[in-house]
Amino acid sequence: MSKRVLTVDDDPDISIFVKTVLEENQYTPLVARNGEEGLAMARDEAPDLIILDVLMPKQSGIRMYRELRSNESLKKIPVIILSGIAKRTFLRSQEALTEFGDQPIPDPDVYLEKPVEPLELAETVKKLIGS
Amino acid sequence: MRMKKILLIDDEENTLSSLARSLRSNGYDVITASSGETGLDAFERESPPIVLTDLSMPGLDGLAVLKRVKNSNPDAEVILITSHGDMDSAIDALRYGASDFVKKPVGEMDLKIALRRAEEKLLMREKLREYTLDLENMCYIAMEEVKRKSDFQDKLITSSNDGIVATDEKGIIVIFNPGAEAIFGVPRIEVARKASFTALFPPEIADVFTLMFKRGKHMGDVEWKEVVIRRGDNGDIPVRFSATLLYDGDDIIGSVGFFQDLSEIKRLEQELVKSERLAAIGQTVARLAHYIKNILTGLKGGTYIVNLGLDKNDIDKLRKGWVMVEKNVGRISSLVLDLLAYSKERKPEYRDCHPNDVVEDVCELLEGMAMENHIRVVRDFDPQIKEIAMDPDMVHRVLLNLVSNAVDACIFDLDSTKEHEVSVKTQLEEGNIIRFDVADNGCGMTEEVKNRIFTAFFSTKGGKGTGLGLLVVQKLVYEHDGSIDIRSEEGKGSTFIVRLPYKDAA
Repeated sequence: MSKRVLTVDDDPDISIFVKTVLEENQYTPLVARNGEEGLAMARDEAPDLIILDVLMPKQSGIRMYRELRSNESLKKIPVIILSGIAKRTFLRSQEALTEFGDQPIPDPDVYLEKPVEPLELAETVKKLIGS
Repeated sequence: MRMKKILLIDDEENTLSSLARSLRSNGYDVITASSGETGLDAFERESPPIVLTDLSMPGLDGLAVLKRVKNSNPDAEVILITSHGDMDSAIDALRYGASDFVKKPVGEMDLKIALRRAEEKLLMREKLREYTLDLENMCYIAMEEVKRKSDFQDKLITSSNDGIVATDEKGIIVIFNPGAEAIFGVPRIEVARKASFTALFPPEIADVFTLMFKRGKHMGDVEWKEVVIRRGDNGDIPVRFSATLLYDGDDIIGSVGFFQDLSEIKRLEQELVKSERLAAIGQTVARLAHYIKNILTGLKGGTYIVNLGLDKNDIDKLRKGWVMVEKNVGRISSLVLDLLAYSKERKPEYRDCHPNDVVEDVCELLEGMAMENHIRVVRDFDPQIKEIAMDPDMVHRVLLNLVSNAVDACIFDLDSTKEHEVSVKTQLEEGNIIRFDVADNGCGMTEEVKNRIFTAFFSTKGGKGTGLGLLVVQKLVYEHDGSIDIRSEEGKGSTFIVRLPYKDAA
């Protein structure tokens, strides 16, 4: 059975893009449109990997990321943050600082900046969970 | 006490010496002269307050002496010594201002009485002079005080930064201070005591004064009002003004208007708006970059899928990828257009138009999309709204944005039990205002979203919105001196209320 990858993005084009890349590389894509939906799917489906956009309305991307990193059972799932902002900008953003409060913001397994090359994305996924 | 000087004139040696003796013994300082001529010389030299002169003398007689003495010093008292039968001359003498006359032979008692009367007259005159002097002094002091006060008020009016224009009861300008000169761009001498306020003030202000004069006391003070004074080549100047009538008892004695120059305040306000906008743009460059990267990712994804479709001869993929490419090209162009609209300063272009027609046009444009999604567009236009002047392009853009947002709010609403509806309403309001309501019963907004809708690049529409639309709406409305209000409840829907001032059609 192929490995399942959850992609969370509010922009449907990016979801289609990531989904297609995953399908072309023989993964099973799962798609969520926001953090709440993504978190529910992460709990229910226990995917092998999560590709997450952190900058979504209602802060739901960052909230989901914090949940993923603080929940014992979800912690084990590797996370790729795929974001329109640079990593250091994200780590210093008001949204991230507000969400995490005094806690340090944990590093994701991989931080990818948009726009991402299909090949780079496929290889990153492969490196993290194998084919 | 100083001895009183007396000039005694008589051509008869005996009378002269006996009278002199008698007067000296009564304490007078006596100067004697034996003729009218020598007597007048002595008068000029010694200026005695009292002259006692014989009436009939050779050469200059008593009457001539009297005339010359009175001519020289009207205050001098002249007593004439008359003989029997000089009655007519004596009466003449009184007419020329003699104080008294005594008959020859001069009796001690008669002389004493005459002298006492003369002295009393002198005393009274002196007192009168003193009183007059006092009165003049007091008058002077009072005048000084009045002058000081009026100077103070003058300076107060002159040095006021505000323009002060006062008129008399007929409306003729009587006070026009330097502040007013600066505001109206007219020197005081051209208007003060010449022009009526109707000639000076623009109609908006003149009408207020006319009304005030007409209504009198019932009018009360005029509330502060903002107007623009157009001064031709000197440019326009925004001012705030108030006016009031001046009364003396119940009678109107004039009016006064106060004018505050608002150009500096307006300039600062504009600068503030400008710098706030620049700051907003600065703060959101990161968001812009994020948004552009999303578009690029969409384009990249699209071309990737197109290429897949080409490689595999998969027409489905080809179509799917091409749709993505097209959509993201569209996103770039709307982003650029919104950015331009937001960052460019735009003055409203007032043109005669029918606002209801503009709104109808917007409804027709979006009705197709609404109907595809089973959303009804309801119109409720106020028939009282006639042709007026406002910026129709701006109204169109604002309404198009709001109505398409309302349609989206219905599309995004997950509640399928609702019959979705977007209602567009126009309404005429007091004070030359048209109110536009755009209401939907779609998904509504949370407080959090509501607080952020005017933040650049904030969008809840996923890839569909630029996150600038409402910001552009707000900017256009503010540039048109209008206002925007929002009511929204999550799950129930939202209402956007835009109020725009209009001018009368040309």
